Amino acid sequence: MERKRVFMLLAMMALAVMLIRAQEVKVPLRFDFYYSYEKMVEAMKALNTAYPEFTKLDEVGRSEEGRIIWALTINNPKTGDPFSKPGVYVDGNIHGNEIQAGEVCLYLANRLLTNYGKITEITDVVDRNVFYIIPVVNVDGRAHFFSDANTASTNRSLRIPMDDDRDGLFDEDGPDDLDGDGNISTMRIRDTLGRLRSDPADKRLMITVKPGEKGEWTLLGQEGIDNDGDGLINEDGEGYVDGNRNWGMNWKPNYAQRGAGNYPFEGKGIRAIAEWMLARPNIILVFAFHNNGGMYLRGPTSKEAGELPQEDVAVYDYLGEHMEKIVPGYRYLISWKDLYPTYGDFTDFTDKIIGSYSLVGELFQPATETYDGTLKRVEEERSRSGDPSAGDRQRLLFDDNVNQGELYKEWTAFKHPVYGDIEIGGWTKMSSRLPHPFMLQDLVHRNASSVIFAARQTPRVTMDVFEVKKIGGDLWSVRVRLVNSGAIPSVTYETIRNKLYPVDKLTVTGRNAKVASGGVLTNAWMNQVNYKEYRPEVQMCQVPGMGKVEYQFLISGRGDIEIRYESRKAGSVSKTVTLK
Amino acid sequence: MFFTRLSVTGGMMLLVALLLLPEPISATRKYSDPAAVNRSIEQLRQANPSLVKVHKFAVTPGGREMLMIEIGKSGTSVPAVLVGANFSGLTPLATEAAMSLASRVVSDASLNGKLTWYILPIGNPDAYARFFTRPLWSDPGNGRLFNDDTDDQTDEDGYNDLDGNGIITRMRVKAHDGTWVPVEGEPRLMRKADAAKGERGIYKLYTEGIDDDGDGQYNEDVPGGTNINNNFPHLFKKFGRRSGLYPGSEPESEAMLRFAFSHPEIAMVIAFGQTNYLLSPPKGGRKGSIDTGSIRIPREMGASLGIDVSRTYTLAEVIELVQPMLPPGMTADESMIASFLGLGEVVNPMPDDMIFYNEISSDYKEYLKKKGITAERLDPAQPEEGSFELWAYYHLGVPVFTIDFWGLPKPKEEKKENQGDEKKNDTVKADQQKGDPKEVAQLAFSDKWLDGRGFTPWKSYKHPTLGEVEIGGFTPFSDNTPPESMIDSLLDLQLPYIPELVKRLPRLAIAEVKTTEKGGGVYQLEAWVTNEGYLSFPIAMGKRNKVPAPAILTLEGDGIEILSGKKRTPIGEVGGMKSVKYVWLVRSPKKETLTLRLESKQAGNDSKMTNIGG
Repeated sequence: MERKRVFMLLAMMALAVMLIRAQEVKVPLRFDFYYSYEKMVEAMKALNTAYPEFTKLDEVGRSEEGRIIWALTINNPKTGDPFSKPGVYVDGNIHGNEIQAGEVCLYLANRLLTNYGKITEITDVVDRNVFYIIPVVNVDGRAHFFSDANTASTNRSLRIPMDDDRDGLFDEDGPDDLDGDGNISTMRIRDTLGRLRSDPADKRLMITVKPGEKGEWTLLGQEGIDNDGDGLINEDGEGYVDGNRNWGMNWKPNYAQRGAGNYPFEGKGIRAIAEWMLARPNIILVFAFHNNGGMYLRGPTSKEAGELPQEDVAVYDYLGEHMEKIVPGYRYLISWKDLYPTYGDFTDFTDKIIGSYSLVGELFQPATETYDGTLKRVEEERSRSGDPSAGDRQRLLFDDNVNQGELYKEWTAFKHPVYGDIEIGGWTKMSSRLPHPFMLQDLVHRNASSVIFAARQTPRVTMDVFEVKKIGGDLWSVRVRLVNSGAIPSVTYETIRNKLYPVDKLTVTGRNAKVASGGVLTNAWMNQVNYKEYRPEVQMCQVPGMGKVEYQFLISGRGDIEIRYESRKAGSVSKTVTLK
Repeated sequence: MFFTRLSVTGGMMLLVALLLLPEPISATRKYSDPAAVNRSIEQLRQANPSLVKVHKFAVTPGGREMLMIEIGKSGTSVPAVLVGANFSGLTPLATEAAMSLASRVVSDASLNGKLTWYILPIGNPDAYARFFTRPLWSDPGNGRLFNDDTDDQTDEDGYNDLDGNGIITRMRVKAHDGTWVPVEGEPRLMRKADAAKGERGIYKLYTEGIDDDGDGQYNEDVPGGTNINNNFPHLFKKFGRRSGLYPGSEPESEAMLRFAFSHPEIAMVIAFGQTNYLLSPPKGGRKGSIDTGSIRIPREMGASLGIDVSRTYTLAEVIELVQPMLPPGMTADESMIASFLGLGEVVNPMPDDMIFYNEISSDYKEYLKKKGITAERLDPAQPEEGSFELWAYYHLGVPVFTIDFWGLPKPKEEKKENQGDEKKNDTVKADQQKGDPKEVAQLAFSDKWLDGRGFTPWKSYKHPTLGEVEIGGFTPFSDNTPPESMIDSLLDLQLPYIPELVKRLPRLAIAEVKTTEKGGGVYQLEAWVTNEGYLSFPIAMGKRNKVPAPAILTLEGDGIEILSGKKRTPIGEVGGMKSVKYVWLVRSPKKETLTLRLESKQAGNDSKMTNIGG
């Protein structure tokens, strides 16, 4: 009897293994489900295996719980090594619960790799750039979001324990999945003196009682018990250091901004990524994906950080105005002003320290969850209908009939150790901030398209020696034009303002030639030059987006001279001309 | 070594006697380079294996190993004092003080018994190592490569010892666009020409060197990366020349951030370096982002909370307004409100903390007086932005004291009779005419006590690009580093005050536990928690930033039911020499022994037992 049971168990296990095998990740990747952390790693490895010459998989670092943060680098070695091209960095899921950001990154990699050589635009964007993709920044958060019971908003922070309630214990009283359904939902209790009653039109909703009306319910907050017996429920949950408040730019301590951590880069993974990025000075464009609001955000992230130079704003405006059309419903906004100020924010770091154009994509739009499929903004619906529950009503209708009620948990009776008879119910963890997988494909494709659109605008610098003229004796006038056919300049204006690093360099060398003078040609027709007094053979420069910069050199001598342009972010180009 | 070579002259003896100690000098301690300091640390450990541990703290960009000394019998189970020295790398005396303190702590059971000491003698070894190389020049940058002039080369234009005297001084050159003139009566010193008085500048001043890279600038890209004492997160100056890429960007500072936050038992920080809070308590007056004395409530927030937005409030008033709106069990405090209103970070010392800073400063001055020290010195500097001491106070929220151990003596002035304000202003102007007061003091010290070795007289030199120049000026470090013969007496005078400081640490104890029977097996339990120390627990800044680990009172007893109060009660704040009462209502059907346990990382542990029932 016992033996038979063991055999049965083994057989079941073998079957389970076979089923898992059957679900093995294959390239091209699928985007009709959410990848767990493990599956995500598997998918990145699958891409790496399928495209060994184009991709490199790096261990960037490890998280607090020891999980590996992986980066996939996409580079065509035939068009040069990575540092010879503009770097496009894309990451997601710095907040553990914002998982679809990972899928956007993964989709981008999949799209670029599987269509290289098939679609001209994609072939070109891959040939000209190097892509650095980190789909999951908060690897612990993603893993726990899948494995643990959560709301759509919990498991956001890094796994650095904090004593939220200052009782000397760390993370000892988080929410509890009382009904064991894998979600942290809401608790409510019948209370005739409560401020809420059931909505007669839909019993699942509650509305505020009017004066003179009898109440029905009181909300008790997130599902949970008083784990530490201090008289409070769920007052010290997991974390709380917010990965996106822990970067070393305009950082403020935790008491000034919750989630900051004790010091910049306290998060192991956060520091590892910063160091990894600093080791890739060619990064000129950064995308960081988050999950809520339907927005593309540019900096500055706080008022104190100061407005960006107008020339940089113009670049963002150009990208933003197109990107908000690529994803219907998205709005291109300024982070601190249109959303809220943040300190120690990732994109503030990349703007100012990496010297890149940096954008945040807030992916999910609740307005897309409509019964009829048209975009309906909650606030507009509310003011149009005068119904404060208009948004929820729309979403319930959508969930009932489009998702067959998958994302909403009906109110169910539960016996709570403290409260007694209560009900647990509401939106589940895979709702509210995550699109249903059937809508995921659209979301990831459009957002990857925004990244590809911006990546097409990275600097593409060409050189034109448009005049070599003898002006007497062995003295020559040589005029050089650097043209950038991308919308993104070779150096950000913020970088120039902060003197962040030595900008691009234009040099003239020749065995039998000496540069007598040289400088920016400000007006070729009027022959006006800003001569550089010392070392005219070396000019520090920048090539504006969709623009040019011209130099004039007076060179004495003869023979071959090499004119060379070198940029951290825009590669290098050189030409040899002969003075004869 | 330059500072070794200085002999103690008769005059020097007199000065030391006058300024410091009426005791004979025995010059035993010398300035030691980073490698020698590490060897001494190792010797200290070997000589006291049961008391001293050595931690490998970090390795600098220049490849130097930093060692942290831990002294004490009890490790992390008792409160600790963190001593950090020489984060600028420009204060040799600070390192010697830290090493001397380590020896003193090792040999004093009253210091190493109930406290643990973490002592980092050199916070910036790369910069400090320059003190021991020739030519002598100073720069607080560590060994990280840094391209100061953002051209195409790094560290390509450092100083050059043109006159070959082993010291980098300055060059003065007569130039049409010069802005400097010699000081009347003291032509070695230079001052800015005063155009209002019809003066034209005569000289341009440079540091000693040539234009190594031919870019028209002199010494504009000297070796040296980040000043560790500018690389901490409080008031970090982004894109500053020596401040580093971001706070904690350097291994030296990162190690300190990591160390301090993983040692919550650190109850006090003492910094040896460029400032002296004992003589000049930290100053306020910095304009923060928001004035907490006059807070404006944002319109929308005011509307939702029902607060009048047309007037301003103090932080205390906002707390009062918000408290009734919070759910039961939640207490509004400064930190919560400040963060809710986005008031930002604190940039001035908390007023309550200034009380202890000023009282201790008075006490210290009294202490010096008793030791017979009456001579005046120049005022110590205030801390730099991003410095270790600023960070320690604002981010750790513990009391921070700093000592620089020596300052230039104030030159003697003829006493002027009572002056009106106008006259005072005239005096200030006249002083400027005499040159920078610090330079005047420095020159006077060099002339009187260093046989003039602190200043190289101007001497003409044929410069390759500037032509006829004069080279001369102050010896680096001669403004803050006394000759070696003075080290011992300076430390013997000032280090004995450290035990006085640590005596002031908060010490929490359960003073009394009282039980009252209420009938039916119900008892009221009353406990008085007393702070036997002078400093409050936590200090005001710690209360604001909530970084110090809370002290917890735990009530234990088998079979008891707590009717009112908590099993674990966080102790919010106990002022210095003050007591706070805690009350519980418990029910116990039978005779029971209750244990009340007080646990605090920073302020000690205690426990008391009491019987109820039966």
